[in-house]
Amino acid sequence: MITNKALPRRTFLRGMGTAVALPFLDAMTPAIAATRRASPPVRMAFVYVPNGIIMDGWNPDYEGTLAALPRILKPMEPLRQDITLLGNLTHNTGRALLDGAGDHGRCCASYLTGVQPRKTVIDIKSGVSFDQIVANQVGKQTRFPSLELGMEDARQAGDCDSGYSCAYTNNLAWKSETQPLPPVLDPRALFERLFGNGMALTPEARARQNLYRRSILDYVTDDTRKLESDLGPTDRRKLDEYLSSIREIERQIQKAETDNAQIDPHMEKPYGIPADFAEHFKLMTDMMTVAFQSDLTRVITFLVTHEGTSRTYREIDIPDGHHPLTHHRNQPDLIEKVTQINTYHLRQFAAWIAKMKSIREGDGSLLDNCMIVYGAGLSDGNRHLHEDLPTLIAGRGGNHFKPGRRIVYRRETPMCNLYLAMMDRMGVHVEHFGDSTGRLDVLDLA
Amino acid sequence: MYYRTIAPLEPDAVRLLLSTIAIVLPLAAADYDSAVKPVLSQTCALCHNDKLSSGGLNIKAFLAPDSVTAYRDGWEAILQKLRAGEMPPKGIPRPPEAQLQALVHYVEGEFEKADRNTKPDPGHVTARRLNRSEYSNTIRDLLAVDFRAERDFPTDDSGYGFDNIADVLTISPVLMEKYLDAAESIASRAMGADPLPKKPIEAQYHTKDKTVRRVDLSTIEASHRVEWDGEYVVRVGMPGERTADAKPVTLGFWMDGTLLKTLPVETKPSTLVYFDPYSEAEVRVYLPAGDHVFRAAFIDDDFVKTLPEKDAYSSKKNKFLNSIVFVGPYPSDVERASRKKILICDPNSGQACVRKILTALSRRAYRRPPTPEELASLMKFVSLARSRGGSPEQGIQLAIEAMLVTPQFLFRIEHDPNPTDRQDVHRISDYELASRLSYFLWSSMPDDELLNLAGDQKLHEPAVLDGQVRRMLADKRASAFAANFAGQWLEIRNLDVVKPDPDKFPEWGPELRDAMKTETRMFFEYVLRENRPLSDFIDARYTFLNARLAKFYGIAGVSGPDFRRVDLSGGQRGGLLSQASVLTVSSYPTRTSVVLRGKYVLNNILGSEIPPPPPDVPALDESAVGTLMSLRQQMEKHRADPMCASCHNKMDPLGFGLENYNAIGKWRTEDGKFPVDASGTLPSGKSFQTPDEMRALLMSVLPQFSRCLTEKMLTYALGRGLQPYDRRTVDGIERDLAAEGYHFQSLIFEIVHSAPFQMGRGDGDAKPKEIAQR
Repeated sequence: MITNKALPRRTFLRGMGTAVALPFLDAMTPAIAATRRASPPVRMAFVYVPNGIIMDGWNPDYEGTLAALPRILKPMEPLRQDITLLGNLTHNTGRALLDGAGDHGRCCASYLTGVQPRKTVIDIKSGVSFDQIVANQVGKQTRFPSLELGMEDARQAGDCDSGYSCAYTNNLAWKSETQPLPPVLDPRALFERLFGNGMALTPEARARQNLYRRSILDYVTDDTRKLESDLGPTDRRKLDEYLSSIREIERQIQKAETDNAQIDPHMEKPYGIPADFAEHFKLMTDMMTVAFQSDLTRVITFLVTHEGTSRTYREIDIPDGHHPLTHHRNQPDLIEKVTQINTYHLRQFAAWIAKMKSIREGDGSLLDNCMIVYGAGLSDGNRHLHEDLPTLIAGRGGNHFKPGRRIVYRRETPMCNLYLAMMDRMGVHVEHFGDSTGRLDVLDLA
Repeated sequence: MYYRTIAPLEPDAVRLLLSTIAIVLPLAAADYDSAVKPVLSQTCALCHNDKLSSGGLNIKAFLAPDSVTAYRDGWEAILQKLRAGEMPPKGIPRPPEAQLQALVHYVEGEFEKADRNTKPDPGHVTARRLNRSEYSNTIRDLLAVDFRAERDFPTDDSGYGFDNIADVLTISPVLMEKYLDAAESIASRAMGADPLPKKPIEAQYHTKDKTVRRVDLSTIEASHRVEWDGEYVVRVGMPGERTADAKPVTLGFWMDGTLLKTLPVETKPSTLVYFDPYSEAEVRVYLPAGDHVFRAAFIDDDFVKTLPEKDAYSSKKNKFLNSIVFVGPYPSDVERASRKKILICDPNSGQACVRKILTALSRRAYRRPPTPEELASLMKFVSLARSRGGSPEQGIQLAIEAMLVTPQFLFRIEHDPNPTDRQDVHRISDYELASRLSYFLWSSMPDDELLNLAGDQKLHEPAVLDGQVRRMLADKRASAFAANFAGQWLEIRNLDVVKPDPDKFPEWGPELRDAMKTETRMFFEYVLRENRPLSDFIDARYTFLNARLAKFYGIAGVSGPDFRRVDLSGGQRGGLLSQASVLTVSSYPTRTSVVLRGKYVLNNILGSEIPPPPPDVPALDESAVGTLMSLRQQMEKHRADPMCASCHNKMDPLGFGLENYNAIGKWRTEDGKFPVDASGTLPSGKSFQTPDEMRALLMSVLPQFSRCLTEKMLTYALGRGLQPYDRRTVDGIERDLAAEGYHFQSLIFEIVHSAPFQMGRGDGDAKPKEIAQR
C-alpha cells in the first residue's frame, strides 16, 4: 500500500473478463458478521429471468415429493430437498385485458406489483411492489431496506415493448406506483455500495465525513422545502422524490454508524462488469450471499436480464438473440437453443443456492432462513402465456416451508397469493395484495 | 406521438354528445353531411364498424360534424391515411378522387377554424433532472473535471425515445448515493486535494495472464482504473518481427474509443541479434481518474491479413501486441484547469475572496445568480470546514460538494409566477432560456456569454438570440447534440449493445463498430454545421469514411485511420439508410429482418407508428430464410393473410428495399442460396427495384420526413412529449420549412423561436384525462 487510496498491486493486474474469484467472501465475513442473534431473521430474494421458459423442460410429470427433475431443472437435482416447485400460479395482470400487445412489458411490470401497468411511454404507473412493502417494514432494521440488482444494461434508445415504457422492463421493484428502483449492474458498484469505497478512513476522518454529509443533507432538505413552496404540483412531485431519497440516505448513514460493518481495505474488489455471463452472475450472487449473511439487507430482487432481451449466449455457443429465439414457432432446433439458455441460467442459480446452503447459520444453513424465488413473468414465451408461471422457491423461510415437493394449485391461482404467504413469513401481515384471493396454503409445514 | 388519443367507443355516450353539439353548429353540419358523411358511411364503415373495428377504429364515433373537434386525434390519423393513399385499401371500391379531396379539405378547414378560436398553449415543462450525459458535461464545463456519469450512475429511463424527458427522470436512493459520492470526489478532484502517491505505481496488463483481451490480430484492449488525475507513461509491448521488407505500421492508443496518440512502429527485423525479438512503444499522456477501457492497435494493418492464422502470434513470423503497462501518476507541470476556474482570487486573503469565489461558482452551477440566502448557506459550509481545522480551500471544497447535490444544480427548475394557473402563459426568464438553449444544443450548462446576456435581459431579443444559436452551433460542444439527439433518434447508441454473430460476421469488432458510429456522427454533424437540406439525410451523395469502413463498403481510395468526406457514386450507398450503423441496429444478431428494418424506417424516418400485431397472430417465420425459401417467398406467404397485410404492406417493402445490406450493413447480392431481390411496392402504389430507387421515392415524401424529424427534435428540445396543443407549433414549423427549402439549421431556429420553447405556464391539477389508444 502506497497511500490509503492505492489498491494492492494484484488488483491492478486483473482485467475485465478474467476470473476474479472473490476470495473476499470468506475472508471478510468474520469482519462484518452481525452480532449473533437467538433466531436468525428470514430473508427473501427474487431471481427473475425473461422471455418465459420451455415448460416441457421445467414441469415434472408428477406431483408431490421431488425425484428426478426435467432437463432445465436438472442442475437443481442435488438440491431438490431444498426447493419447492409451484404449479399453476398465474399473473392475470400480465395479460392484455383489452390493452393489446406488450406482454413482455406488462409481465415484468406486474410481476411483483400485481398491478396492470399503465400502457404508456410517459407518465409511467404500476404499483408498489410487494418486496418494497416488506422493505418498508423490516428494512428499518438493516442498513439497506432492499437491494435491487441486475445484469443487463438497459437499451439506450428505441421503444421497449409495443407502447410500454422501458421503465417497465428495466426494473422489477417499485418504490411507489410511479417510481421504479433501477437495479445495480456493475459488481464493483454493488461492492462499493455494500462495503464502502475501500478508503481506509481513520475513525476521526469517518466521523468528519459523516458530519459533513449530514450537514449537507440537512441543508438541501431545508432548501428544497423552501423551493417547493412556489412550484406547481408536478414539479413538487419531482422534488418529493428527491427528498425521500435524501431521507433514505440519512437513515443509511445513521445505520452505518451503529452496525459497524466496514470493509477491510485490503480486500479484493471486483473490477467492472465481466464479459462472461457466469462470472458476472457469480459475482452478483456472491455479494447477495454476503449481504444476507451479514444482515445488510433482508430483501433482494435480481433482474437477470430484461424481457425482450436480444442478449446472445456465446458462452454456450448460441449466437442468436434470446428473445427472437423464444418465438420458436415450435421448431425443434430453436426450442433446443432456448432450452439450453434456460438450463444455463439454472446452472448458475444452482451454484448460488449450493453456496447459500453451505453456509451455517443458527442450527441450519443460511439457505434455510431464506425464501429465494426463481421465476419468470411468462411461461410459454412463444405464445406469451401468463398462466402456470415457472416458479421455484429455494429455502425454508426460517423453517416454515416443507420443501422437496411439487405443489400444483388450482388453475389460475393468483401469484399474489404466494406473495401474501411470503409476506407472512417476513412478519408483514397484509390482507390483500394485487389480485390476491387468499394465501397460498399447503406451502407450510404439514 | 400526439396522435395517441382517439375517440372513446361507447356509442351511447357519443351519440348523446353529438346530438347536443349538432344543434350548436348547424352550418358546419350541412357541409359535413355532403363532404364527409357519404364517404364514411359508404366506404369506411365497410370495415371500421361495430363488428370489425378494423385497425381498432370504429367510424361510428366520427359520423357527426362535431367529431372533427371532439376527436381531433382520431381525425388526424384518418387524414394521414387518406393523404398517403393508404385508405381505402385495395379491394374496397374507391370513391372518386375529388370526393376524397373534398373530405380532406373540409376537415382541414375545420381544424384551422378551431385553432383560430383557441388560445395557444405552450405547455409546462416539469423540473428536469440532469441525465447522465448532461451531468458529465455540466461537471466538465463547471469545474473542468472529467467525470463519467455514464459509468457510475444507473441508466436514465427514457420516454418518447429520449432520455431527457422530465417526467420519467426520477431519483432513486441509489442515484442519490451516487450523487453524494460523486460530489465528494468531484469537489476533491477539482481542488486537486488528493495528494498523489510519492512514487509512481506500475500496473501491467498482459495477454499471458489474460488481463488483456485480444480484439483482433492487431488490436488489444485492457480495462484499467486510473486512480488519480495525472500524467502517466504508457508502454505497449510488442513481441516478434516481420519479414525484412515489412513496412512500419502506425500504433494507435485509445481511451474509451477516443484516439489519444499515434506513433510509427518498425516491424522488420532489427539488426540486433535477439533470441526473442521484442520492442516497446511508449507514450506519455494525461489520464483522468476513473474506469477506462484502453486499446492499442496497429491501424490498417494489412500485413497480418497475408499471414496464415497459425502464424499470427508467432514471434518469428509476426510482430503483434501483447501488453499494456501504466506507470504513474506523475505530477503535471501545468496548474489544474479546474483550480484556475475556481480560484479567481486567493482564498487565504479573507472572506471577501471566498464569497466572490462562491458567488461566481454558484451562479454557474445554479445557472442563475444565487439568492443572498443561498450564498449565506454556502458560506456556512466554509465556516464548518474551518471549525474542524480545514483551510479556506478545504472550506470551498466542502461548499462545492454541497452545491453539487442541491436541487438547484441537479434539476433544471423553471419558476412560474402563478405555479398552479394553467392559463397564466408567460415568457420564461432569460436565465431559463439560456439553460433551455444550452441543454438543447450542448447537453450542458450555459457558458458565461449566455449567462451574461441573460443577466442583461437581452438574450430573448430576436437578433441576440439568433446570434447566440449560430455561435452555439459552431461551438464544438454542439457535438453533444449529434451524440445525444442523433444517437437516440437513429438508435445508434444501441451499437454498444448489439452483438452480431462473429461466425457469420467475422468482420464485426470494436474498430468497425466505432467506425460505424463515427460515420453517422460526422455525417449528422456535417448536415448540421453546414446547414445542409434535410434531404441529405435521405439521399446524400457523400458520407464520412476511414480506411476501415471504406474497405468494408468496398469503396477504393481511402487510407488511414482518419475520417474524411467521401463522395459516393454507383448507387450502393447514399443517406442514412445505407449507413452500416443504422443497418446494424435494425437487424438481429444473426440475420436481417425486413420487418425490423421496415418498422425502423416508418418510426424514425416517416414518423408513422405501426400498431403492434394483434394478439394470437402467428409470428412470421423468418428463420428458414435462405435455406428453404427465399425471404421474399416467406414474406409473401405471410402477407397473403389479410390480418397481417394491412401493416406488413407498409413495413415490408421498406425492409426489402434494404435487403442488399446484410445484418451489419455490408453490400450483398445474395442471401444464402438466393439472389437478393430488393424491389418493393409502397402502399401508395409506387414501386422500386433497388435501394437507390427506394431512396428516390423517399425523397418524394420529404415533408413527411421533415415532420417526423421536427416532432422528435421538439420532444428532445422541450424534454416532454408532444401534446395535442403542440400540433399548431409543428404545423407552423413545417409551413416555414417548406417555404425555405428544408435546411437543417432552419429547423433548429424554428424550434428555438417556437412558443413552447420560449414560453411557459403554470401547471394545475386539472389535467384532462386522455384515453390511451390501444
